[in-house]
Amino acid sequence: MRKNLNLSSIMQSKVTWAVIAEMLILLVCFAIRPDFFSISYQPSTGMLYGSLIDIVNRSAEITIISMGMTLVIALGGTDLSVGALVAVAGAIALKFLRWDVLEYTTPGDYSVCPYILVLTVPLIICALMGLFNGFLVAKGGIQPIIATLILMVCGRGVAQILTDGKQFTTGYSPFRVIGQGSFLYLPMPIIITIVVVVAVALFTRKTAFGAFVESVGVNPSASRLSGIKADQVILIVFLLTGLLSGIAGLIYSSRIMSNDSNNAGLNFEMDAILAVVIGGTNMSGGKFSIIGTLVGSLIIRTIVTFVYYFGIVAEATMAFKALIIAVVIVLQSAPVREYFAKRAAKRVKVSGGVQA
Amino acid sequence: MQNVLEMKGISIEFPGVKALDNVDFSLRAGEIHSLLGENGAGKSTLIKCLTGVNRKDSGKIFLDGHEINPTDPGNAIDLGISTVFQEVNLCPNLSVAENIFAGRQPMKHGGINWREINSRASELMSRFHLDIDVTRPLSYYSTAIQQMTSIARAVDIQAKILILDEPTSSLDENEVQLLFDVMRDLRSQGMGIIFITHFLDQIYAVSDRMTILRNGHLIGTYNIDELTKFELVTKMVGKDMDVIFNLKRAEVADDSEFMLKAEHIGNASTINDISVSIKKGELLGFAGLLGSGRTETAQMLFGVNRISHGNITLEDHEIILKQPFDAIKFRIAFCPEDRKRDGIIGDLSIRENIMLAVQSREGFMKPMSHQEQVTLANKYIKLLGIATPDCEKKAGELSGGNQQKVILARWMAAEPKVLILDEPTRGIDIGAKAEIQRLMLEMCGSGVSVIFISSELDEIIRCSNRIVIMRDRAKVAEVDGANCTQNDILKIIAEGAA
Repeated sequence: MRKNLNLSSIMQSKVTWAVIAEMLILLVCFAIRPDFFSISYQPSTGMLYGSLIDIVNRSAEITIISMGMTLVIALGGTDLSVGALVAVAGAIALKFLRWDVLEYTTPGDYSVCPYILVLTVPLIICALMGLFNGFLVAKGGIQPIIATLILMVCGRGVAQILTDGKQFTTGYSPFRVIGQGSFLYLPMPIIITIVVVVAVALFTRKTAFGAFVESVGVNPSASRLSGIKADQVILIVFLLTGLLSGIAGLIYSSRIMSNDSNNAGLNFEMDAILAVVIGGTNMSGGKFSIIGTLVGSLIIRTIVTFVYYFGIVAEATMAFKALIIAVVIVLQSAPVREYFAKRAAKRVKVSGGVQA
Repeated sequence: MQNVLEMKGISIEFPGVKALDNVDFSLRAGEIHSLLGENGAGKSTLIKCLTGVNRKDSGKIFLDGHEINPTDPGNAIDLGISTVFQEVNLCPNLSVAENIFAGRQPMKHGGINWREINSRASELMSRFHLDIDVTRPLSYYSTAIQQMTSIARAVDIQAKILILDEPTSSLDENEVQLLFDVMRDLRSQGMGIIFITHFLDQIYAVSDRMTILRNGHLIGTYNIDELTKFELVTKMVGKDMDVIFNLKRAEVADDSEFMLKAEHIGNASTINDISVSIKKGELLGFAGLLGSGRTETAQMLFGVNRISHGNITLEDHEIILKQPFDAIKFRIAFCPEDRKRDGIIGDLSIRENIMLAVQSREGFMKPMSHQEQVTLANKYIKLLGIATPDCEKKAGELSGGNQQKVILARWMAAEPKVLILDEPTRGIDIGAKAEIQRLMLEMCGSGVSVIFISSELDEIIRCSNRIVIMRDRAKVAEVDGANCTQNDILKIIAEGAA
């Protein structure tokens, strides 16, 4: 056992409160629309359908990006460039698919370049851009928020240049699979998300990498003097975040079968940061939680789905999202957590110290 | 003299620990009262209870005969209880004057009256015989002056009680005297001062009475002339001092081989040219004033600062150190001077702090299992007597002495050949100090070469086989630890030659 699980320490954990918040939101959904949880099988597409599936499916991009963002924030930084990298990945992929067209033409089911390039080149470029961020932070000693601002601003410009400012569309069916296909009855983005989350969790927790990230995030100087190559850790984290942004970019552009240098990944950095923070990782760095971030990302998407589902006027969407997030953050604040932890501790005492 | 403060039957319980058990404490107006005890004895808890940081579970506090219940530090200040902490907690980027008056600036015509702020601040500081420019930022001045600034703030808000928590640990001798003058001055004006320090000499130099705590219990309150130093320590530790300091110097045969040799190493930014060597199982002391180059030498031997010339050999093989990681690969370990900034990783658990050096040497792809980490941590918690309920407690929540032991454990776990300790006993109590010295000597006994840097000459002389004396960024002498006195070393430091 990792920790001795008692009710008091569970109530102290931010992850607990994220889970409670998510369950509350879902409960409200259920109360309004009892069929909210229903899942049905559609033989024609071979996929399961339902609002829960939809929430997880639509949260894929943010979940994948926020896995990297979790590590960046655990290092005490932020990566503002992730949204721009989503646009870059889409632009490169579509450029490779439709190298032949100069003007808008009806999309056909073909790719100009080999499909393997369509998939790998965007990921490599995004990983390199992440590495560039990491280089500025680790070697240049630039604050992450400033260093990544560079690519946040110029990333979309790069995407524009690559595509001559045009929006291409494609009908290439293997590309469609990424964002719209299915595997084991589940939408493909969910499968990719699961793979990414498990991979990041294993990489950070089954190796000592997670501990190194936390250590550098809490005290860089002491970490270096303990022999941790802090620069190496920073480079890997930013590279990973770039790569994950690229994966999210491919999913995003496969959903719309197009590139959109202006709107693809817009404000993704904010949602990703929010997911990490709701998930219980402190902005000042240190301990992080992969599961927490996953729940955080689901919360954000559940709110959006809620808004769509219950016909809240489009103008009010942002305000409504902000309201719910405010409630979640308050639920997670130190005084609230301590209050419930104390009550839990008291209950344990009254019942004769029996472990909950 | 009447009591300005009375604390009666104070008990505070933390989960699993009784931090204070029915403790009485009283402070008279116009006295300096030392609060003594080892780390974890309950001194800080008592102070935190008085300043509203921790709530008491039972007991009563009376200030000037009225019962008070400080709810938070701001409330305590309003009641007239001011605290000056070890680490200055003012704003370094504001001016001295702004710091003194922050939050209660005198106003004039709806704006801040800068002229009054600055003139009153100058006046306050000159009462401490400090003629400084109060409009300069606080960070411009030494720690001593920064500390005086927080005292000035306390004086100006007309505190009845002033609590000084380890104010002298980063001051030099002259600054300490200056602080004492100020304390005596305030005493004569009728202020009650609670003084917490680890330096026994300072207690005798300045205080009127002392109260001793041990393990959350009150041992007693005594007039300063009632107890000798020896009796005082015995009461603090609960053991006889002879037992504590029964240390034997490491035995090194004349013909034993050299472990580490540094020949004419240096770099442009720190030390130009120094040669040191250490034998297997030897304890090499480094004496010298702060800034004499002791730390810089250690940093070169650990790869923190790269050397630009000279060479370092370990067991007759030349080694090149580009970064601390390389030194750790060669089994050189370094406990840095600033425990908080460079040593402890506060938000991580004791377990993670201990496994760090071993793990970083192996690289993150070869992780220790959770069970291995727990076993390792528990082994050293037991071996070094780290006071904690379990190995998952955050290292930052431990007392200074226990944090130092955790860092020591980190390096012992890495099984070093050369262990460099930079001021390992600073700011920790006498019991923990003796334990750390004993541990150093035990490590020597098992064949580890230890380099021991300290400002306290008595402990250097007590432990070292040889002593390197540094001055002005150069080695000026090397003396035999068994045949020298404090005066010999002081003389060399002062005159610069053997």
